[in-house]
Amino acid sequence: MNILKVENLSKKFGKKEVLKNVSFEINKGDILAFIGPNGAGKTTTIKCLLGLQKITKGKVTINGYDLKKNFVKAISKVGCLVEAPDVYMYLTGYENLIMQKNYYKNISEEEIMSIIKLVGLENRIYDKVSKYSLGMRERLGIAIALINNPNLLILDEPTNGLDPEGIKDLRELLLKLAKNGVGILISSHNLSELESFCNKVCIISHGEILSVKSIQEIKKIDENKYIIKTDDTTKIKSYLSSSDQIIDNNYFEVIKDEIDIAKFIKKLVLKDINIYEVKKEALSLEEAFINIAGGKKID
Amino acid sequence: MIKLINAELKKIFRKKSFLIVTIIFILYCILTNVIYKEMDTLLEMDDLSINELENINNSLNLNDKEDLEEYITNKTDIEISKLKDKYKSMEIIIDKYLYNLIYERNNIKYNTLDEEELNNINNNIDNIMSYIKSNNWQYFTKLEKEEIEEKLKENKDDERLNELLKLKEYRLKNNINYDYNNYLNNAIDTIETDLLEYYNLKNKEVLTKDEEERFTSLKEEMAINNYIIDHKVDANNSNTLRAVLTNFPNEFGLFILIYVVMISGSIVSEEFNKGTIKYLLTKPHKRSTILTAKLLTIIILIPFIIIFMSLIEIIIGSLILGIKSLSVPVLIYESSTGILKSYHVLKYLALLLISTLPEYLILALVCFLLSTITTSTSAAITITFLFYLISNVISNLALLYNIKIFKYFIALHWNFNYLVNKTSNPYNFKPIFSLGIISIYIIIILCISYIYFNKKDVKNI
Repeated sequence: MNILKVENLSKKFGKKEVLKNVSFEINKGDILAFIGPNGAGKTTTIKCLLGLQKITKGKVTINGYDLKKNFVKAISKVGCLVEAPDVYMYLTGYENLIMQKNYYKNISEEEIMSIIKLVGLENRIYDKVSKYSLGMRERLGIAIALINNPNLLILDEPTNGLDPEGIKDLRELLLKLAKNGVGILISSHNLSELESFCNKVCIISHGEILSVKSIQEIKKIDENKYIIKTDDTTKIKSYLSSSDQIIDNNYFEVIKDEIDIAKFIKKLVLKDINIYEVKKEALSLEEAFINIAGGKKID
Repeated sequence: MIKLINAELKKIFRKKSFLIVTIIFILYCILTNVIYKEMDTLLEMDDLSINELENINNSLNLNDKEDLEEYITNKTDIEISKLKDKYKSMEIIIDKYLYNLIYERNNIKYNTLDEEELNNINNNIDNIMSYIKSNNWQYFTKLEKEEIEEKLKENKDDERLNELLKLKEYRLKNNINYDYNNYLNNAIDTIETDLLEYYNLKNKEVLTKDEEERFTSLKEEMAINNYIIDHKVDANNSNTLRAVLTNFPNEFGLFILIYVVMISGSIVSEEFNKGTIKYLLTKPHKRSTILTAKLLTIIILIPFIIIFMSLIEIIIGSLILGIKSLSVPVLIYESSTGILKSYHVLKYLALLLISTLPEYLILALVCFLLSTITTSTSAAITITFLFYLISNVISNLALLYNIKIFKYFIALHWNFNYLVNKTSNPYNFKPIFSLGIISIYIIIILCISYIYFNKKDVKNI
């Protein structure tokens, strides 16, 4: 059974439709990268999933409970971090965690201590949050998201303000959680950060889901980018397709699979064009998506 | 639910603004008590007025007839003041027996210049002064007593004279001199003064509205002063902790309001402003549960804060003014029955505060509603204060004009002080009608708050 199921989710602000029939699902152990340009509806989707905004149309089911009809049961195993980690600045990190804990039943203080260690805040946890750096607040936000031992974790741009070490820690933490069966939805503007550990990718633009694919499917896309050096790039202009481009006088790039690139080079050589160098570059997640989305640029 | 309320309380108490207002309140409390203690000194300006009168006299032209009259009056006032200062225990006697004589003497000295008359008057004054100097106030009491007894021979059943006689006997028996600092003397003096007017009004067949009011207030004054004499309690002293406590809502009402507005104006809106609402609303609780927790927090906190403020006042007041006055009861005169009731000060304070509680509760709910709708703390607080000011204006207007629509305005109903002070409702409402109006307002406010809060989207920041 899937942990999260979103079916035809629509949201209107007045007459403006900001989400149109958004559908996707998260299973046990999934890490879904939720990607889209600014204003695409990422945060709105997340807020609808959490009951922070009312759903205009559609259905959200979490752990088998309809979010609309049975909010309390649906939300009880969800941990979240939405936008910035907004906590009570005049309390210490520990007091904030205790306060969040008190909204749930049966969470011991030992569990809280182990979460604090997990996010690496043990040295500063008794300081007031107003003295924290952004990265530390982000860690505290993740700790709060984990406090109820959730099986669905929804993180909205959690890498904001984290240093490379913090991002690495988070990546390891999320992989470990996913291994234990937690479903994770994670949105970020930094696609390369997600590429290395997510197993599903969902792209949203203008309130519509453009594509939901597994990372393997994307990696299977047998297209690669080749950078080729020649003596004069003006001569090869007529041989390029729309996705290829000239970099400068000597270099240009083409996107083709292995069979096609061989044919392409042969064609150029037969036309008496000098090829000095052919370098293969793997497509990044972002570029793969540009292709899937039919060339639509995302931020 | 208890956990939720607990969390709300923790948020409120840990805020800096709460601490700051409390510190300001404590300072204000100290100042108020000091003012109560020093009120007499602040009001006492006799020395200044003597100097002033002398200055005026120096500038007057004694050849002018009007100036001369003023000069004589001032001169007399100065002499009387000086005598009163010197013979504290005889103040009333000096006013009563010496004023006319000294005025006459000055009149002769500066105006008529009749030597023989002057000697006569001087003898009279010396005679009286000899008793004053020897502090023989009993002489005057006995003198007055004899006069009354003489009159009573002619009219045995004169109630006023009989009461006056009792007062004279009481004064002699209990050894009460004529010092204005002696509360028993003041009580006797007040009754003696009131008696004449009281019996005049009592014997009148038809009283005008003003006269009737005056008659009621005379009855009240006499009842209270008789109680003071009978029980020997200093109930009219305004320089005591007891006086501060009986005035508590007037002195500290604004601070109660500040606390109430500060808490209920931010309890919902601040979560939205600071973004903490996102955590709050993704907890396994219904939105209405969250709002109920906040509402109950306010309802629990208001009485708690009022009690807390009273305790601080009692502690500070007892340090500055002493606690002796707490044993003196509060006297409430019930005009409809003519019965005088006595309450322990703390019991009276408790009743008084309970009777004003609906007012603060409604204001808290109004502020809570605004906080929920606008999600702006400053808007909620400002509008609530404006509402409070307008309420006062409308309450006053309603006293002047009998406009039907005012009848349903909440501010005319939310104060039950009149029940504690045993006066009639200024607008002639029955308490049950007021309670009905209050309930309707509360229901409307809560309905709007809950509907709004349940439907509200947490906007993207």
